[in-house]
Amino acid sequence: MPAPAILIVEDEPEIRRFLRASLAAEGYRVVEAAGGERGVIDAASHKPDMAIIDLGLPDLDGVEVIRRIRAWSPMPIVVLSARVQERAKIDALDAGADDYITKPFGVGELLARVRVALRHLARSAQGCAVLTLGGVRLDLTKRHASRGQDQIHLTPIEFKLLGCLARHLGLVVTHQHLLTEVWGPTHSSDTHYLRVYMRQLREKLEADPVRPKHLLTEIGVGYRLLADED
Amino acid sequence: MKGYAWAVAATAACTAAGFALRPHVDPVNIAMLYLLPVLVIARFFTRGAAATAAVLGVATFDFLFVPPYLTFAVDDLQYLLTFAILLVAGLVISDLAESARREARARAAAALEAETERLRGTLLSSISHDLRTPLAVMSGASSTLLESGERMPPADRRVLAESIYAQARGMADVMGNVLQMTRLETGAVVLERDWASLGEIAGAVLDRLAGALSRHRLMLELPAELPLVRVDATLIEQALGNLLENAAKHTPPGTLVRLRAVRGESEVVVSVEDFGLGLEAEEFQRVFAKFHRRGGGEGGGLGLGLSICRAIVQLHGGRIWAEQLPGGGSAFRFALALEAVPASPAEGAA
Repeated sequence: MPAPAILIVEDEPEIRRFLRASLAAEGYRVVEAAGGERGVIDAASHKPDMAIIDLGLPDLDGVEVIRRIRAWSPMPIVVLSARVQERAKIDALDAGADDYITKPFGVGELLARVRVALRHLARSAQGCAVLTLGGVRLDLTKRHASRGQDQIHLTPIEFKLLGCLARHLGLVVTHQHLLTEVWGPTHSSDTHYLRVYMRQLREKLEADPVRPKHLLTEIGVGYRLLADED
Repeated sequence: MKGYAWAVAATAACTAAGFALRPHVDPVNIAMLYLLPVLVIARFFTRGAAATAAVLGVATFDFLFVPPYLTFAVDDLQYLLTFAILLVAGLVISDLAESARREARARAAAALEAETERLRGTLLSSISHDLRTPLAVMSGASSTLLESGERMPPADRRVLAESIYAQARGMADVMGNVLQMTRLETGAVVLERDWASLGEIAGAVLDRLAGALSRHRLMLELPAELPLVRVDATLIEQALGNLLENAAKHTPPGTLVRLRAVRGESEVVVSVEDFGLGLEAEEFQRVFAKFHRRGGGEGGGLGLGLSICRAIVQLHGGRIWAEQLPGGGSAFRFALALEAVPASPAEGAA
């Protein structure tokens, strides 16, 4: 099986350079595009396994690049955003990006995101029905949760929330996405529902609900589910 | 408009006084009485108001106290001199007062400019220090890696690379703070309020600052029944993070840092308490000022962390303050208003 190919859409040559070096060192093949238009074309012609897209491109809005790629491809997309681009980050996620990383970032963080995104691609074919979160075993098809011998009672909505997060395991899922999927489009801005249910879930599943290890908060953006590595 | 109202009121008061004094004093002295409102109005209000007081004074004096009474006619021509003096005195005084006021305003503006200039100077010197040092480290360490990296033991290479990374992250934080303060001050930050859980925000902050807080003992008092707040969670996360970082920076390793949230009647108070040396009495107000560095600048940083906190809390309409704790530490607290949380969906039927 050939090494996964990653498309980098980034206008700053220096940033492209260290991205290329660190991704190549991990054995990935790298395709580079210096602009948005070029990126959209390269995504179609090279058919990479995933894309890393900078949100501050000079020629074409990063969000637009994501939309055009998403129009035909489910390839995982991770966006690079600056700290002040809160809104753009959420727009990018809503347009179909799978995750983000805020500049400046360490390569360790980036590689972790890339691994999660590629695993997501591999998994999306067969799905992921059974998860382990610390001491908790979660079977999403049978709707069963247990810690050791003890069954944990979860409500149907709690299972739905976990299911939605599990479909994007390791990736961020926006508030709007979760609300729309669990409660329907009329509730897409009822963030307080999410706050209440996430607290319940953490109390049932996390060892320390204030400092969660699995149901992580992405402030201002959404939530991320981390399961134990299998 | 207020000046004119006062001119009328003061003239009326003088008239009353004039009637009371009339049996005892010469009319010319009553004329002197009308000079008083002119003086006072000129001191506090505009030139127009002072002139009005002068004219009103002359007219009233003439009408009521100069024979023939209850007419504006004048029997004795010497009163014309009184009128003229009254009028001229009023105008001259108001002129003097006006120019004194203008001068005071100019002085205040100059003082403000000097203060801005001083702050700009502080900013420049601290930025140049806070950026120059890491830049020196980065270029030194990276050039060492370039020139002699291949001959170095891997452990030494790693130390150099780590220090380049750490300095770059630190510099990014400094730049981030300067940028954020500027954005807050110029009104470029738009609050995006949404329902948020303080427990969740605290959890995310503690996760982000795990490294910075690792040398302190943390104590959390976040009751599970804390109500949701309608805030910009990204900004509150930043404010809380700055308070915690600040506590860790200014207290010795191993001491306790306590994060607590207490629900009041109409607000929730979030506190970061430390058990270090505390603050000097005069520092409690100043700690939130821009570029104020506790303990004269030890620990580095631009002194923007707490002023960013203050700007964020004020943007939310909240209060922020510092307190001395009995036993020596200090507490930094902020209060956010509580709003009624809309009901959540019941799940009974499901």
